[in-house]
Amino acid sequence: MVKYSAITLDRQLCKSCGRCVASCHKQAIAIGLEVNQRSGMIPYEIDYELCNHCGLCMSACPEPWAITEGGHDLENPAARVRPAKPAGIQARRIPLPDLEPLVLKGNHASAVGALLAGCRHVFGYPITPSTEGAELLASLLPELEGVFLQSCSEIATVNHMYGAGGAGVPTMTFTSSPGFTLMLEGISYMVGAEVPGVFINVMRPGPGLGYIGPEQSDIKLCARGLGHGNTHAIVLAPSSPQEMLDLTMLAFELSFKYRNPVIVAADGYLGQITGRVTLPAEMIQPGLPGWAVRGDAEHKNNLNSSILQDWVELEKHNEHISGKYRAMERDEQLSSEFHTDGAETLIVACNIPARMAKAAVETLRREGHRIGLFQPLTIWPFPIDALAKLLVHINHILVVEASDGQLENELRLALNKAEIEGTRFDHLRHMGGILPDDAEIVRKMHSIMGIYA
Amino acid sequence: MSNTALFEHFDRHAGGVDLKGGSTHYCPGCGHGLAHKFIGEAIVDLGIEDRTVMVSPVGCAVFLFYYFDTANTQAAHGRAPAVALGHKLAHPESIVISYQGDGDLASIGLAEIIHAAQLGMPISVIFINNTIYGMTGGQMAPTTLMGQPSTTAPQGRTAMQGQPMKVAEMIAGLEGVVYVERTALFDQRNRKKTQKAIKKAIRLQMEGRGFSMVEIISECPVHWKMTPEESEEHVKNVVVEAFPLGVVKDEEREPWIAPRVPKFDADSMVSALGATEEKPPRFCSEFPSHLDPVDIAIKFAGAGGDGAQTAAILLTQAAINEGFDSTDIPSYGPESRGGTSYADVHVAKDEGLSPAAPTPHVLLAFNAPSLEKFASSVAENGIVIYDTSVISAPPDFPVGVKAYGVPCGDVAVKLGNKVVKNIVALGALQEATQLLTDESILTVLRSVLRRKPNLIEINEKAYAEGVRHVRESEPSIV
Repeated sequence: MVKYSAITLDRQLCKSCGRCVASCHKQAIAIGLEVNQRSGMIPYEIDYELCNHCGLCMSACPEPWAITEGGHDLENPAARVRPAKPAGIQARRIPLPDLEPLVLKGNHASAVGALLAGCRHVFGYPITPSTEGAELLASLLPELEGVFLQSCSEIATVNHMYGAGGAGVPTMTFTSSPGFTLMLEGISYMVGAEVPGVFINVMRPGPGLGYIGPEQSDIKLCARGLGHGNTHAIVLAPSSPQEMLDLTMLAFELSFKYRNPVIVAADGYLGQITGRVTLPAEMIQPGLPGWAVRGDAEHKNNLNSSILQDWVELEKHNEHISGKYRAMERDEQLSSEFHTDGAETLIVACNIPARMAKAAVETLRREGHRIGLFQPLTIWPFPIDALAKLLVHINHILVVEASDGQLENELRLALNKAEIEGTRFDHLRHMGGILPDDAEIVRKMHSIMGIYA
Repeated sequence: MSNTALFEHFDRHAGGVDLKGGSTHYCPGCGHGLAHKFIGEAIVDLGIEDRTVMVSPVGCAVFLFYYFDTANTQAAHGRAPAVALGHKLAHPESIVISYQGDGDLASIGLAEIIHAAQLGMPISVIFINNTIYGMTGGQMAPTTLMGQPSTTAPQGRTAMQGQPMKVAEMIAGLEGVVYVERTALFDQRNRKKTQKAIKKAIRLQMEGRGFSMVEIISECPVHWKMTPEESEEHVKNVVVEAFPLGVVKDEEREPWIAPRVPKFDADSMVSALGATEEKPPRFCSEFPSHLDPVDIAIKFAGAGGDGAQTAAILLTQAAINEGFDSTDIPSYGPESRGGTSYADVHVAKDEGLSPAAPTPHVLLAFNAPSLEKFASSVAENGIVIYDTSVISAPPDFPVGVKAYGVPCGDVAVKLGNKVVKNIVALGALQEATQLLTDESILTVLRSVLRRKPNLIEINEKAYAEGVRHVRESEPSIV
């Protein structure tokens, strides 16, 4: 039997449960006689006349520091000192040779973008029309000594990402609307614990099971509904396989820059479309952030958590996160413009509808109509600064989208917050897997011009 | 030995102010504190303080990270094993300990724990079973005993609420699991066994052998409405009857997981992507503006298995190799085989815009319903190629459309492989449209088949046959 020199029962830390009593073969422990003024409990006491220093009471006591060898110094200032967070290792840019363009479908382009961005940890659950992205990564990652794990559900997927992303590695998934809904809980935790991760949401129609065609069904969810709490994430909206690659790479960069999830919102059509994809001049070797919860000496003191017991602290934490949102709103708006010079009417569209609108604008311009396209590449933050400049001269917008006004709502909210008034709206919407096509957009504009001529 | 795996001062516990700096948030007599101490001791004994990642659950142990002087992650309700796997895969050298209560693990998190166990990745799960939801205030858990009262089954658990779930036995039945033991805390002998079991579960992870779990029957005096002493007696006399203690599974297994070092060099990347610096040869001298000045739309239509998708992607690749922009968008029917299978291809001089082809310049139809469906949509002066092996009477076409009937299927069968009918069709399409050049398409075809060289000859023959049929036939012109 191990003998301990001085077994000390700390009267302040004893919770008076009495588990120690039965452990003592010498009946040396008994309830005390007076209330401890600091704890409000009546602590047990050891009768050192009877104690044989066997230490069994120590392993019976549920409190770590209530029965110890030699006593516990509650006020020891040195015990409060924590090591500083390590500085972290910066990501490296590695030059690539001058490669010929690849011919890739949108989902594959996004997967290639993830590899080039340094992602070697991919989790996923199959769902049409996003699955090819995961399939390509499952086939390529072993060559790069990376990991693809097919999870038991989207809920598990996002939590694998919370773990791996929390360990500081770039991580991602491919999903589609119903699966994305299931990930929202985890996304809220990632936002709260400040864990990066990239979600490629190849949107499909709902509500419920809907079907597998293209729709911009989750603009609302991505921009306003990322689980419970004050959550936001940058939402990127590509419109071609090339942008699927480019914006996926950007998503990783932004995700680590802000320690926040980033969503690439594509539509089902975009996932499936094959086209020419030019590869970047550089690929990324990820660094290792100082905050990573890694399981090594350097990062030992780190914690990923979204729970804060103190309401004042929790408000502060929310304010800190909101500060990041304000920075994203200020610095990360992205858009592109097509024939906006001298335009009298703007078509606003993103994803594949933007491509359709671009074709329509070409036709309308050939006909001599002064129509331009404004394409948000970030849905959140909405690129209001660039749009506001155009709206100095333009007061008519046609919103073209594959949803029930979800993009228009983002646009109107952004205009409202920017206090821009007097814009006239028209819209062309489809749902269920039907996309507004270029000919239809041209017809719509003709009809509008007839009305407003 | 001092338990240095636990903080000496709990400054995460409400700032460590006053007694909170030295005591846990657990109620008097609760078993969690013991489990924490034993895990800490095991971590110290095994020398892994720097390598350990503790995963805190939701429930009473949600603040586990207040106490462990290791790396810590706090997980959502039920998700700790999924989070643990993320950590283990991101950094296999880390020792990941996932800590969960019975509501967390056995109710909301059942899918995550079962799949983690089945997967068998070496992680260690410490499962605290106190037969009740503690943090939320004494509700019924999956493990609540028959007859045991709780706030959500105040008359006691009956058959209406089902039987208590025997988690250790269930987990032990899964393939990836090397070790499961159920232990208790009510006396010194059992505490010793718990200490040993925890250490073993972690050691098995360090050795890379597989998934291990210790189910610890723990006291909850407050919600059992008993004194701590009564609670210990209750475990000893009642709870262990429902949840027998002991080793449930202990398998010898060779270490199976080797940590990987992800590759980040350009050569590996280029090779994985199949990318090349070599410029593909070009055969076209200019954009085929005889079909459209800037953007040509081609529709491929057939049934699944006709090869419409393959033909479309080959043409897209060939057009891109020629320096044009090109897109291909497939549209399948509900079944990937047997249903409809359409693909829209654009070949554009500069940038292809709308990827859809509602009024194609060229239609390639593999069966009668497809031809019927799209014939009237073909652009004025457009070109149609259809398979006369299966289409006997073509429908009416718009004015100026040139239609070529080519027996693609029959030709392919004669060549000895009916799947090459799409290549016959592609040859016919090129000859009829002069969209690219024969070599543009054949070069891509050879490149795609480079790993199946024995198929090159029949495909080249098929292509040539398609070309010949168009060359030797007169199109019908409306």
